[in-house]
Amino acid sequence: MQATNPKALHPHSQQGQTLLAARGVSKTFPGVIALDDVSLTVVAGEVNALVGENGAGKSTLINLMSGFYAPDGGGIDVGGRPLDPTPSAAHRAGVATIHQESHLVPNMTVAENILLGHWPTRMGLIDSRAQMQIARAAIARVAPGLSPDTLARRLTPAEGQLVEIARAISEQSRVLIMDEPTTSLSGREINQLFAVVRELKAEGMGIVFVSHWLEEVFAIADRITVLRDGRLVGTEPAATLDAPAVIRMMVGRGVTEVTSSQRPMGETVLKVTNLSRAGVVENVSLQVRSGEILTLAGLVGAGRSELANCIFGVDPYEGGTVELAGQVIPPGDTTAAIDGGMGLVPEDRRQQGLITNLSVRINATLAVLDRIAPGGILSPEREAAALSMATRSVAVKMASAEVPISTLSGGNQQKVVIGRWLARGPKLLILDEPTKGIDIGAKAEISQIILRLAEEGTAILLISSEMPEVLALSDRVLVMRSGRITGELTRDNLSAEAVIALATRG
Amino acid sequence: MTQLEMPTSQTDHGKREINTRLLDLVQSLGLLGVILIGGLMLSFASPVFFSRINIENLLFASTIIAVVAMGQAFVILVAGIDLAVGAVLALSSVLCVVLATKAGLPVGLAALLALLIGTLIGTVNGLAVTVLRLPALIATLAMMSVVRGAAYLISDGRNIAPVPGIYVDIQGTRVFGVPLVILLTIMLGVVAHLVLTRTRFGREIYATGGNPVAARLAGIRTNRVIVIAYMISGFAAALGGLMITARLEAGAATAGFGYELTVISAVVIGGVSLFGGEGKIPGVLLGVILLGLVQNAVNLLNVPPNYDYVVSGIVIAAAATLDVYRRRLLEAGLRRRTMLIRREKAETRDAGQGGAKRPD
Repeated sequence: MQATNPKALHPHSQQGQTLLAARGVSKTFPGVIALDDVSLTVVAGEVNALVGENGAGKSTLINLMSGFYAPDGGGIDVGGRPLDPTPSAAHRAGVATIHQESHLVPNMTVAENILLGHWPTRMGLIDSRAQMQIARAAIARVAPGLSPDTLARRLTPAEGQLVEIARAISEQSRVLIMDEPTTSLSGREINQLFAVVRELKAEGMGIVFVSHWLEEVFAIADRITVLRDGRLVGTEPAATLDAPAVIRMMVGRGVTEVTSSQRPMGETVLKVTNLSRAGVVENVSLQVRSGEILTLAGLVGAGRSELANCIFGVDPYEGGTVELAGQVIPPGDTTAAIDGGMGLVPEDRRQQGLITNLSVRINATLAVLDRIAPGGILSPEREAAALSMATRSVAVKMASAEVPISTLSGGNQQKVVIGRWLARGPKLLILDEPTKGIDIGAKAEISQIILRLAEEGTAILLISSEMPEVLALSDRVLVMRSGRITGELTRDNLSAEAVIALATRG
Repeated sequence: MTQLEMPTSQTDHGKREINTRLLDLVQSLGLLGVILIGGLMLSFASPVFFSRINIENLLFASTIIAVVAMGQAFVILVAGIDLAVGAVLALSSVLCVVLATKAGLPVGLAALLALLIGTLIGTVNGLAVTVLRLPALIATLAMMSVVRGAAYLISDGRNIAPVPGIYVDIQGTRVFGVPLVILLTIMLGVVAHLVLTRTRFGREIYATGGNPVAARLAGIRTNRVIVIAYMISGFAAALGGLMITARLEAGAATAGFGYELTVISAVVIGGVSLFGGEGKIPGVLLGVILLGLVQNAVNLLNVPPNYDYVVSGIVIAAAATLDVYRRRLLEAGLRRRTMLIRREKAETRDAGQGGAKRPD
């Protein structure tokens, strides 16, 4: 790029001027079209809030604007000039991005982090006095109380974010992209962050703000851009919208309603008694009957996945017992849990559920290797039978069972992970956030699968953070908070308010 | 790619399946192509190359590396690495001679014990990596040093000769005119390939290497799989030790020096991913042959022996670069395909909805 004028954007852009424009950008990954012909502008002195469900394409769009990905179609202009698709080019052009996860070097000080990679030097040595000066000036704007000598690893998430904003200021960035900056912040910290954002806005910075929380969006946004399934639904002034309108835009066409059915319930399948694991789960007791859907609700980090891991024998625990159909499952013995008739659909499909480079066939039959390989030798016939049981029962849409599983859509990948257990005919299926990150149509399908399994007599232990899912599917809800069960709700007294009250205050 | 634009009919299912097979084939053909072209060039440069004796020599010389590399492949497939193989090979060489000649054990028992100790060393490596959670690089590096040291201690640093006559005999045996050692190596290759592709354990190896967390959550005892992989590598290295004893006609503590790197190179050139979960035995054998070919070329073309390492290094780098490039091409192809298919799907879905909108 030009050595003389490193910034494509003049540091003192005028209010209302277009700083960054995405023109019809598209991006494809194996198995998904993440973005399809999406346009968006970032204007000086304005906050453009980017909203959409999980998988709508927000993160991909951010990664394109910050130079992490190159678009497959369309282009990004910064200050009227096309952006080189590298993060450093985006930085030089004046586009700073604050990602969900911290991009600070833990063992460097705040000052060093602010000037990361641009440390001022004198005769080849780092000029710590100049560094301190620049860092102080930047910190003063966003977090006056913070010492520039603090090590980054001692910062709270909120402070870390402010330091990253300070870095953007010190680089004289004109566009600031914030990817869900409020997820780990308290209410007070969010207000502090918003005050800083408003100040930057007043100085002519253009801001892209991503959030799942519509109250926050309406509190800070001037314009709201909605994405759905990788496509642009629209960009409207925030003043002309309200929350229901945005939700309609996010959800789009009507979704088939799933309603729980009245089912006969059988005997107790899972009996957990006083299960405790230090610092994770405390004295949890629960029972699930055959044909029953028991949901664990609560906030992220309440210990629900950890509890599931203890029950399934992935993690050891010190106290309590797990019984499956009257048989005690020893702690930390996944094989015993599986042999006893348990299955677990883990929370993070890519990291914990799939072997992405292997075929659908191998992924779908992974949990029945003992049955398809008598004497250790794989039997193609048995494998074919297990594969068909695993994929037909959940209606996986695929070109062939031989394609890498990564080429399937998220919903179909999840169906394979569920089907993997159906091939064993489990007594109890634990589903940890089974519809996370998959599109709306597939969500409804997976909900139907869960209901059907319950009707067929499988005991279901569901972990879900999505309220509509909790309300629609559960026969009973246990709400967890800080590793303990804070309350039980049945269909008679189940409501979103009741769940939230128990999850946050119980 | 045009035939992929209409992915609806039944015949297209078959077609796409064939396409993935084809990609697999191209993958292995890539290396075979390099070997063939290299061989062809070499036969122009040196008339001796295509002689039966030379080809036989090339294969014969590759057998030890091939056996050790196949063992190493199991470890790399579970995303590990075994640096101790060269040292295990040396210890096994020393042991099988010392136990037979100095300790007076039957030759067969001595060889068996050498194999057993190699397997045992592999077990310790595997346990260090799984139970103690040491990084594989460090654990096997330490083991390499200990084992090499043990080989020196036992042999007092000297080559131990003569070896029992049967080693010399096996070395010279031919079946249907082909050296027995080559046939045995091929047989081992077939067995290893079948284990990886047709057994539960093979499936568990790929799953563990591809994603250990997912494998564990699907009920695979990943630690056990990893330990067994290291045991196989230890066994294979010890077997290599017996083979090198026959070739050198001595038990040598210095044998197999630097083999770990040659072996790892062959495995990686053969298409086994260092990240685990990807690669096959035929590829590994091709990787071994390519390295053997380079060695052969250096000999035939009278390249001064000091250039040996440099040439080998360049070939390794070139093969690895080609491999990365080819993978990228494959991925791009895959991406284009999915985009086309998904587009098509979205369009048919939209069209279907426009026609039959539900009243609600």
